[in-house]
Amino acid sequence: MIRAPLVKALGALGSPTHQMASRAVRTSAMVAQTPAKAPEKIEVFVDDIPVQVVPGTTVLQAAAQIGVEIPRFCYHERLAVAGNCRMCLVEVEKSPKPVAACAMPVMKGWRIKTNSDLTRKAREGVMEFLLMNHPLDCPICDQGGECDLQDQAMAFGSDRSRFTDINYTGKRAVEDKDIGPLVKTIMTRCIHCTRCVRFASEIAGVDDLGTTGRGNDMQIGTYVEKLFLTELSGNVIDLCPVGALTNKPYSFVARPWEIRKVSSIDVLDAVGSNIVVSTRTNEVLRILPRENEDVNEEWLADKSRFACDGLKRQRLVAPMVRMPNGELQAVEWEGALIAVAKAIKAAGGQIAGISGQLADLEAQVALKDLLNRLGSEVVATEQGFIAGGTDNRANYLLNSTIAGLEEADAVLLVGTNPRYEAPLVNTRLRKAYVHNELQIASIGPKIDLSYDHENLGADAALVKDVCSGAHAFSKVLEGAKKPAIIIGADLLERADGAAIHATVAEYCKKLKKPNWNPFNVLQTNAAQVGALDVGYKAGAQTAVKAQPKVLFLLNADAGKVTREQLPKDCFVVYIGSHGDNGASIADAVLPGAAYTEKQGIYVNTEGRPQQTLPGVSPPGMAREDWKILRALSEVVGKPLPYDNLDELRNRLEDVAPHLTRLGQLEPAGDAGAAGTISKSIGGGAIDIKLKELRDYFMTDAISRASPTMAKCISAVNKQQRENEAKQSVAI
Amino acid sequence: MLTNCASKTLAAVRANIRAIATSSARASDNLFVHRDTPEDNPNIPFEFTAENKKRVEAILSIYPEGHKRGAMIPLLDLAQRQYGWLPISAMHKVAEILQLPNMRVYEVATFYTMFMRKPTGKYHIQVCTTTPCWLRGSDDILETCKKQLGIGVGDTTKDRKFTISEVECLGACVNAPMVAINDDYYEDLTSKDMQDILNDLKADKISPPGPRNGRFASEPKGEPTSLSEEPKGPGFGLQAGL
Amino acid sequence: MAKFLGINRLTKLFQMVREAGGLKQAYLKLYRNDDLKIGTLVGIDKYGNKYFENPYYFYGRNRWIEFAPHVNMDYDGSMIPAEWYGWMHYKTDLPPIRDGCRPKYKWIADHSENLSGTKEAYYPYSTTPNKVEAWEPKAKKQ
Repeated sequence: MIRAPLVKALGALGSPTHQMASRAVRTSAMVAQTPAKAPEKIEVFVDDIPVQVVPGTTVLQAAAQIGVEIPRFCYHERLAVAGNCRMCLVEVEKSPKPVAACAMPVMKGWRIKTNSDLTRKAREGVMEFLLMNHPLDCPICDQGGECDLQDQAMAFGSDRSRFTDINYTGKRAVEDKDIGPLVKTIMTRCIHCTRCVRFASEIAGVDDLGTTGRGNDMQIGTYVEKLFLTELSGNVIDLCPVGALTNKPYSFVARPWEIRKVSSIDVLDAVGSNIVVSTRTNEVLRILPRENEDVNEEWLADKSRFACDGLKRQRLVAPMVRMPNGELQAVEWEGALIAVAKAIKAAGGQIAGISGQLADLEAQVALKDLLNRLGSEVVATEQGFIAGGTDNRANYLLNSTIAGLEEADAVLLVGTNPRYEAPLVNTRLRKAYVHNELQIASIGPKIDLSYDHENLGADAALVKDVCSGAHAFSKVLEGAKKPAIIIGADLLERADGAAIHATVAEYCKKLKKPNWNPFNVLQTNAAQVGALDVGYKAGAQTAVKAQPKVLFLLNADAGKVTREQLPKDCFVVYIGSHGDNGASIADAVLPGAAYTEKQGIYVNTEGRPQQTLPGVSPPGMAREDWKILRALSEVVGKPLPYDNLDELRNRLEDVAPHLTRLGQLEPAGDAGAAGTISKSIGGGAIDIKLKELRDYFMTDAISRASPTMAKCISAVNKQQRENEAKQSVAI
Repeated sequence: MLTNCASKTLAAVRANIRAIATSSARASDNLFVHRDTPEDNPNIPFEFTAENKKRVEAILSIYPEGHKRGAMIPLLDLAQRQYGWLPISAMHKVAEILQLPNMRVYEVATFYTMFMRKPTGKYHIQVCTTTPCWLRGSDDILETCKKQLGIGVGDTTKDRKFTISEVECLGACVNAPMVAINDDYYEDLTSKDMQDILNDLKADKISPPGPRNGRFASEPKGEPTSLSEEPKGPGFGLQAGL
Repeated sequence: MAKFLGINRLTKLFQMVREAGGLKQAYLKLYRNDDLKIGTLVGIDKYGNKYFENPYYFYGRNRWIEFAPHVNMDYDGSMIPAEWYGWMHYKTDLPPIRDGCRPKYKWIADHSENLSGTKEAYYPYSTTPNKVEAWEPKAKKQ
């Protein structure tokens, strides 16, 4: 299943002959994988209902096709089949004993009985064995109420056990492991399904978890004292069918039946993962992933999952105005809006706006409309992009699409670390690496991507080399069926970013295949694509250059604008949810709503608009961002023509119709900027901001406010200190 | 009233007695997590000797490309033979050679009981106590070992020379009772034999392995008791009609 | 006859007004107490509250208090001190001045009224943290 043993062993040897050999092994594997034609379907009977399935389908999948759910613990659609829990035993006619449905491929004409006496007896028996050593501590278990074992024991188990021994000897007890600040372990509850082990090794690419010991002494763990540090660690909590791995920050907080659930979108990276926000009494308690095959499958990155406690800290709860003594003081909305309106009137059109990382599309449109009405055209995104490149949508999108990257067979990463910039894009690349023989090379500093890749070097000139076809990797790209080049968004902020962009775009025209666009920009900010779509200019410096008298910062917290760059009398207005870089330089702070508190559209890196839904109300006097702008427009005397979200969405539809078709992807054409752009790439090393795991956890105002993220960073640092101490001893 | 109370107390006592008397599921005497100790921690360097490096190459060459991880058990065994037991740094070395994550090696090393993950003596005395050996007096043999070496089961002598462990059937039931010392089987033992063997080992003299009661292998002691006459020719014992 | 014409009620009213100390006083009493009664003054406590009794009224209304004039309209049932509480509530018929068995210890604290609903009312402080922690701006412009 995993390619690691095969290719890692080969890659290590490194000599040309070995590489040839590896190539041969790969091609033979490919040939073996590709069937000559679609195989004929075979008929099987599940509970006497005929089902047509392709050969190789397992009993469990065949049953699922007609909606018959077979109980399981170890089987998971996205992981390798293990077949060790035995819960999925079903009777197959003429088979002497029950078969494990998850691992058994169906044969023609099989009659599968999922509800016969034998099946039920087998399940009851398995359940009895599982419960022999599973503690009955459901009342104090965090999984209680959403526990697979609990549910299935109720549905398929017996009401008593014949293992009376445990009344005298007790149950097996296993030492808890400390695997980090995010995942709490209560290993006594473990039923050894090995889902976490398989997830770690297959999806996360961090082989830290495993099974040690044998028989009754077997346990899941890391063997050595080691933290399970990966950007995807939270997913093992969802995978765990019992309460052995639970959410540490959420431990003992709530029961699932007390919770209200709201389907929303994550905005802490540009992937736009689908999430469920669990709330109770106007408080966000936890965030879980929601299945979306096109975006996040069913995974969620740790920052998106665990930074939700940042929504309760460092919040702006009341409007503030800077007093003559230089202090920000809380005031009523009226006073704050009048103060801003006064400054706007005094500015006489010398106004600019900067939209930051977490701004929703509605607020961006409202800000742009307001500024246009006030006679200013200067609205920009905080993160830079190439000048003049924002007219063509393909220039800044991940054109191959997130799901599409799974099919890629050659990828070049230029100045990006998808593992930390967009962990769920990286899982797609890893999936392609494991299953699709993907060859990956990167230009930039040496990074750990959780899979093998070739680092071509850090020099920017290499981009030119590759794109001219001279480099060895160019051959790989040109020979590939679905090649892709992914450029990091931060890279394009460089002085020669436009040249790199143009060079790659030119080369991608050559690499283009039908229905396949190889040009990709991996955005890191959830708000970036939307802002560029509705006509924002790129780069905070655009706004600074205008030397405005009034500057609006819409969630702009990256600290790219400083007081020193602005005119002395510039009045800075910050609209946003958290007190961070933006609010501290502001003269007026207007408290906005965070992404769990508003209905707002965000466009992800592949250009897919999706909307968040409010789970809780904004704290204190905070309001939804676009409403603040609407109110301000009234005070200034230039009212915006929309009073509610529907009218605002209509306005949005006028500006960019594709952005209101939620969840749908609008294919963009070829990348390439209009006009002539100098293609001279200045040398110099390409750098990446998020090189290591510790850089990953705090990238925006919400995660910077999150105590859990701070704990993660200290855990990473601690682990590294320990490793270094060990190495120094060894030397 | 009093009697009632007394009977209740008695019942409670009985329940306790029952609890003591019931056999509990016996866990392994090994630990399945690693704890750093002065003898066993990742900082202790481990390197195969030049001779063993050649063996490593040879072992690896048996396995086809892409399936080199199959060499894990032979390599772990080699490391154990070289070091006397299997420290964590040896596991790391094997992982390094096979280009595998450390965890995959830990899994194998903890699964097999013959990989000794604790400091083990030069002579590892494995006393079989499974039923046939037990019937033939393995209790005495074990007792002799304990007494002679002054250590218990699972312990190692201070000079790191001997370790006693109790093992399950080693497949030499016909020569019961038996012990295995490192790779050698000593069979058909008596207490006296065991004492001799241990005394020899104390002087680093290795007694010849095999049965101790004069047998060569598993043949009957003395004369063969069956199949002693000439084989009968074809047609022996058939009905006349056939 | 007089009874039939209701004259006896009229005389009673005059009597009440006279006992109250004139028309103005009677009006004030009526305003403060919503009631005008005649009765014998049983005693006055140390806070200036006057206790009256008139068995003419039925049980439950035959003992009443006129709160000290300085509290004005801000009177409250809990202003009745402990020693008069028993008499007011018919636990005893002996008012404290006539009851010699009442203990008089030095440590008996002064009576205090129930402060609920006033500014001085006791509010326990909250032990739960705020759900949302607000941002505290730094003092100076950066």
